[in-house]
Amino acid sequence: MKSVLPIGFGVALLAVWEAAIRAFDVPVYIMPGPLAIAGALGANFGDLMAGLWITLEVTAAALALAATSGAAFAVLLVQSRRLESTLFPYAVILQVTPIVTIAPFVIIWVEDIMAVLLILAWMAAVFPVLSNTLLGLKAADPNLRDLFRLYGATRAQTTLRLLVPSALPYFLGGLRISGGLALIGTVVAEMVAGTSGTRSGLASRLVEASYRLELPLAFACFVLLSAAGVAIYVGLDALSRRILRKWQDGSVA
Amino acid sequence: MNTSSPPIVSVERLTHHYDTGLTALSGIELDIAPGSFVSLVGPSGCGKSTLLRVIADLIGPSEGRVTRTVDSRRGELGFVFQDPTLMPWATVRDNVALPLSLRGSATEAANDALVRVGLGEFGGSYPRELSGGMRMRASLARAIATNPKLLLMDEPFAALDEFTRFKLNDDLLALWQANRWTVVFVTHSIREAVFLSQRVIVMTPRPGRIVADIDVGLPFPRPPELRLSHAFADECARVSAALSGSQAGAAA
Repeated sequence: MKSVLPIGFGVALLAVWEAAIRAFDVPVYIMPGPLAIAGALGANFGDLMAGLWITLEVTAAALALAATSGAAFAVLLVQSRRLESTLFPYAVILQVTPIVTIAPFVIIWVEDIMAVLLILAWMAAVFPVLSNTLLGLKAADPNLRDLFRLYGATRAQTTLRLLVPSALPYFLGGLRISGGLALIGTVVAEMVAGTSGTRSGLASRLVEASYRLELPLAFACFVLLSAAGVAIYVGLDALSRRILRKWQDGSVA
Repeated sequence: MNTSSPPIVSVERLTHHYDTGLTALSGIELDIAPGSFVSLVGPSGCGKSTLLRVIADLIGPSEGRVTRTVDSRRGELGFVFQDPTLMPWATVRDNVALPLSLRGSATEAANDALVRVGLGEFGGSYPRELSGGMRMRASLARAIATNPKLLLMDEPFAALDEFTRFKLNDDLLALWQANRWTVVFVTHSIREAVFLSQRVIVMTPRPGRIVADIDVGLPFPRPPELRLSHAFADECARVSAALSGSQAGAAA
């Protein structure tokens, strides 16, 4: 029942859009209507799915890399305050630098285009996991820390049995953000690096289609990418709820 | 005070300053006899929790000396915090077994500890599935799982309702009589201190110091009805008088 209103609103919006395109006789190379977009989507479905698959492959690989490297780096940084204050600023620099500005250099240095996409998407996605996990590692209950110390726990025991589980909800919260960023990073990288040929992702197809003024096709790419972003978020949200269900009452930190 | 055997904890000329420069404790002298039940009472800010943490060696004293004959690394010291302080991601049994598993010991004793605090059925539950009182029992079970010589308790029942607190007091006392750990119990409740303890140490704030050391003249075992007796009321009045007398003195 809760979804009736937003879905109804969306359908109404599409109807108004289609009606306006027809009423004002807008040419399709300026602005296509929803039916033209759906038509392009249907006509090129197999091709678009192949492109989407490539984009999602890079996104998933970048997210997996960001999750593992971000979490591992956070565990490393939390071992020493000095280490953290030395290295964390560089993570911030990595975060605030727009990846579009780094892309040209990466393209020069790295030959394999898939590797270029992966590196750029990883750069876009790693920071939320890193900073959230770091926050979570530090948020461990001070009394539990005292207890571990009291019982003579080793550093490894404290890290694995106290800090890492404490950080898990924070890590998962970061992962949800990183999922969307990995997709954005992949899309931006594809647009800048301009993949071509058979191994070309959905974003480069979007750019090609818009160059050729095939706007229905470009819009179809856009719709699929948006849907992929939503699916990634919903999927990661469900994953984190599932993992945290047994020991947390509901929402993630 | 019974001085027949050497104290399990001995605090000499202890003074402790916080990082802010504030003096938390000043000139503390305290010997704790093995097997005794001692309470530290006083208003908030009197340094009783700080003293307990110094005794546990969780914080080092600024001046003075603390000697203890127990080694917390060998499980000879149990600590119960004001909050249950359980790991939410672990079952109650795994929480209780923590002190054992950290040392690589067998964890069967955890089940025994759970039974002793009346949580035998709940080992497989997660902390969030338990009531506040049951979580505190789990916390107590963890502290006694190693069968410690010294049990330090920092206002453990302060957050519980009165019925639950009374029940936990009764059960704690029964456990203590059966096992004779040395217990140092911090509380701001005079009635709780008197009901549980052989000896009540009264503290006052700014700076935290000991103003009275009272032997409670009530025999063991102490049944729940004792709380309604005149003798109990008289003992509470003695502690209360020591506390208010010293505060009047401090204000003057």
